[in-house]
Amino acid sequence: MSNFLSLYADRMIKAIGTHFLYVIASVSIAFVVAVFLGILLSRKPSWATVVIPLLSVFQTIPGIVFIGVLFLYLGMVPATVLIALSIYAIFPILKNTYVGIIEVPTQYKEAAKGCGMSPIQVLCRVELPLALPSIIGGLRISTVYTVSWAVLAAMIGLGGLGELIYAGVSSNNNALIFAGAIPAAIMAILFSAVIDLVRKKLIPKPLRGDGK
Amino acid sequence: MIRFENVSKSYGDSLILNNLSFEIQKGEFAVLIGPSGCGKTTSLKTINRLIEPNQGKIYVDGKDISETDRIELRRSIGYVIQQIGLFPNMTVEQNICVVPKLLKYSKEEMSKIVHEMLELVNMPYEDYAHKYPSELSGGQQQRIGVLRALAASPPIVLMDEPFGALDPMTRTILQDEVRNLQKKLGKTIVFVTHDMDEALNMADKIIFMDQGNILQMATPDEMLENPADELIASFMGKRGKDSELPSLSAADFLRADVRTTYINSGVRESIDKMARRRVDTLIVKNQDETYVGTLSISKIKKEGKDHKTIEPLVNLNNSTCYIDEDAPVCLDRLLHGDDSYIVVLNRDNTIAGMITKTSMAKALADAVWGDSL
Repeated sequence: MSNFLSLYADRMIKAIGTHFLYVIASVSIAFVVAVFLGILLSRKPSWATVVIPLLSVFQTIPGIVFIGVLFLYLGMVPATVLIALSIYAIFPILKNTYVGIIEVPTQYKEAAKGCGMSPIQVLCRVELPLALPSIIGGLRISTVYTVSWAVLAAMIGLGGLGELIYAGVSSNNNALIFAGAIPAAIMAILFSAVIDLVRKKLIPKPLRGDGK
Repeated sequence: MIRFENVSKSYGDSLILNNLSFEIQKGEFAVLIGPSGCGKTTSLKTINRLIEPNQGKIYVDGKDISETDRIELRRSIGYVIQQIGLFPNMTVEQNICVVPKLLKYSKEEMSKIVHEMLELVNMPYEDYAHKYPSELSGGQQQRIGVLRALAASPPIVLMDEPFGALDPMTRTILQDEVRNLQKKLGKTIVFVTHDMDEALNMADKIIFMDQGNILQMATPDEMLENPADELIASFMGKRGKDSELPSLSAADFLRADVRTTYINSGVRESIDKMARRRVDTLIVKNQDETYVGTLSISKIKKEGKDHKTIEPLVNLNNSTCYIDEDAPVCLDRLLHGDDSYIVVLNRDNTIAGMITKTSMAKALADAVWGDSL
């Protein structure tokens, strides 16, 4: 074990760092874009009936294919990975944002309007806060998925924990595979825990309910 | 304070409000009532421009509201909705402060308002201010809903069936509380309900609507007494003045053992009869037993010497009623007329008896407490 660590510790730390950055960056981009689009769609539910099914079809394209295609156009740069991961991460957040807002009971929207809130105020003070549990739920799904999708970065030689796994697979080195897989799993769990914390902080108890 | 001028609203072909004109005075508690779909809620929502009429003008405080900014307008008018609509993501304190915050009150002002408001409904600040709506009972939630509407002290408060979802007990308590608050704070309130009891309990003025028209606009008393339409009467159900009593007619109140005499009998004879029967009045009839009038001892005393028969002495104007007439009508004549009794006639104009205050009291007592007295 100590032998293994002295051999691979540097590589592992670097891979974990890269992987972590990929996840943070692409989920952040996705979050901003998805919440923005989700809000837009909630203003125009008729568009949503077209856009959301379209996106969900897109979501079924395997990540490996998509990264491969992007690689052809953009080359071996981190942007390729970030774009691919962001696009995949958008959908769960977008959908949950849209649904969360749409499902805010009319009575609250009407009360907000009747109190004299402008449309923006209704959105920021009532709709978004009430949709927040759903939005954070989407964020969690996206983040956990992105941790695993980020493994694909290694496929086009851009590092991350995938590098260890691919190296392990091709050299028949089980220890190396674990060195990539276990930190990835732990990373997913940690992200999930952090999001839980954020959720507890942001959402008042009565709105949390149980489950996700 | 609030004036509707020829306001109409339709959705497609269906006319929701049909050329409404009415006025609600400052400090008045006006209740809009009617069957569902009558336009009462629509009327209410036109006041804070949640709904825009197709035609006509609405004036609040003399100003045409279609020319005021609708957001400003809504901030100056309190609004309470049926499902309460407290924001579940906000505490009681935050909910109460929604409008003050929109109006950019200072922190100190808002905290003062919350304290005052909670005091109004006897909910201690320490216990309730930081609770979320879901931690309150339905009655408490709607109290906060009312406070939220009052927080920025709007002169006008609109309430759309605010107590519809509450149990009858809580409902009555809140009705009284809101009525007291309204009196205390001098608010003009427009209140929508479909419950006539609620309307009668709270209103200064009831506006009864049906199919976009106003059928009647009156005080609760007036409406009880003279419902302008079958529908209104049916809404009030058995809530008429005699609602607690079984329906009674004159027959239930009369005493039949009356002393009568014929119109052609002599004065002497009549005095004898009164003396013997120990009465001061005789009821006078024709030979065919039909009613003529009444004869009182005082009249005989005054003018009796000059006449042989009683005919010129008979009072032809004493109140009468028919035996099958509704009791309230007869009683009204007895209580508000000049005569100390009413002669009750059969439909063929023969004499059935009379109603005196004593016979009335006895019959009423029987009706209320049974025949045990």
